[in-house]
Amino acid sequence: MTRTAPAPRIVWCLLVLLLAILYLPIVPPLLFSLDDGQGGLTLRWYATLGSNPLLVSAIGTTLLVALIAAAATPVLALLAAMAVRELKAPRLILLLTLLPLFIPGVSMGLATALFFRELGLPPSLWSIAIVHILWALPFATLIILTVMAGFDPLYLEAAYMTGANRWRAFRDIELPLIRPGIIGAASFSMILSFNETVRTQLVQGPRNTVQTYIWSTYLQVGLSPALYALMSLLILATVLLLGLFLGLATQRANRPQ
Amino acid sequence: MRVSRQQERILGGLRLALLALPIAFVVFFLVAPLALAFAISFWQRVGFRVRPAFQVAAYADFLSGVRLFVLERGLLVAAEVTAISLLIAYPVAYLLCFRARRATARLILALFTLPFLVNYIIRTFSWSWLLERTGPVNRALIALGLTHGPVDWLLYSDFAVLLGLVTSVMPFMIFPIYLALGGLDRRLLEASWLLGAGPRRTFWRITLPLSLPGVFAALVFGFVGAFGDSAVPIILGGTGYQLMGNAITSTLDVLNYPLASAMSSVVVLVMLMLLLCWYAVFDLRAFLGKILRWRV
Repeated sequence: MTRTAPAPRIVWCLLVLLLAILYLPIVPPLLFSLDDGQGGLTLRWYATLGSNPLLVSAIGTTLLVALIAAAATPVLALLAAMAVRELKAPRLILLLTLLPLFIPGVSMGLATALFFRELGLPPSLWSIAIVHILWALPFATLIILTVMAGFDPLYLEAAYMTGANRWRAFRDIELPLIRPGIIGAASFSMILSFNETVRTQLVQGPRNTVQTYIWSTYLQVGLSPALYALMSLLILATVLLLGLFLGLATQRANRPQ
Repeated sequence: MRVSRQQERILGGLRLALLALPIAFVVFFLVAPLALAFAISFWQRVGFRVRPAFQVAAYADFLSGVRLFVLERGLLVAAEVTAISLLIAYPVAYLLCFRARRATARLILALFTLPFLVNYIIRTFSWSWLLERTGPVNRALIALGLTHGPVDWLLYSDFAVLLGLVTSVMPFMIFPIYLALGGLDRRLLEASWLLGAGPRRTFWRITLPLSLPGVFAALVFGFVGAFGDSAVPIILGGTGYQLMGNAITSTLDVLNYPLASAMSSVVVLVMLMLLLCWYAVFDLRAFLGKILRWRV
């Protein structure tokens, strides 16, 4: 009954204003990265990115870590979601899975960095990947839980009754139906991995990701047009991945049941 | 396919091991490290190394010096940020849940997601440019005739820090409130209306109390984000502006691990207390609304 009651126009104007304020800080890097210093436009700064060996290796690290996070997180998240559904103490399991959301980035980075050091594990690609997976896990689990909630467990009952075992029922019935959630979790994990700085910076050792490269360059020498170009690329990657995720989500919503 | 009892038991064990994997992952790579950091906060510092011991020197150092002031300011700023963000996020969530069509609500929620996902350090850089003395905001204010000269308190001030933190935690607070409002039984609202309560009374007596689990989740999210942030105070607070986040990183830069661990552990304990309150008082079902229809 209340859903259709229209809100006054002023309320929508305020909402648009709020969104405008949130989107405002995304614009300057895009502008600066195209500025040639004389009031014209240029793509020069993007071209210089490839000639910086430190940066190239940072981009390599970022992509590798993002791929590992995008591959591993959905699997763990799927298992966590199924554990919430099927094991005892679901509240506790859910709480543990969501725990990384409640630990501030600095504390998580510091704790894992000290932990790896005490275990004698040198910082590596894997230490960065582990921290990224931890950070993405709660988000991925929530996405998969949302999709699983739309899946009717009666289908599984039907599969058991027709003789399928648990694995068969999962692979042939449930997995195809929740696939959009898994792809969504993967793209979300990748986005979070691309944009993570604080935790990474504390566990990366001598390596850099693009984000920590930007941050340490800012602390040492300040910002440059090349850095703005880099930020713009990260923003574009985020927009593209989110677009992919939303595209899949609407596809799922529109699919006839 | 026929499976013997023994094979069945092995398969069952395998399934249990798989299901327990994510929990083991979190316990091993997060809970254990946090416990270790807590232990290290009592260790002894020998040169640049630490040695197991039990001393409270790090806490004495933390609670006696200027860092106590940092903790106080950190708590105060986080509380302010959380309160301001809640005052924005609740009406937005309410509007999207009750006054918008579902497709519109989805679209707008997606729009709120994007700025949250773009690295907050990049956004914070942008704010420092937008707010500086000769920046666009000041130029716009002057052009509109609202001020005569540039406004100085826009950057390197409490205002800048609050703006930076609110814009980064607020979008995320909309989601739990939206979920809680969406999971609320609408028949209760109709009943309230039928019994003669006006919209305002219905809101205060029915809607708000039932959405409290989502509100509390949002509060915790906002507080965690604002209390632990380390880039905003550095970029927008100016030289010497310290909150817990950058105070910890600057302690790490001088390799004082026990002190950094002590400060971090205090932060984590504050968070865990908030989390435990939430866990004890509210049912996770209510926060997750319709997400969890099964027996949680």
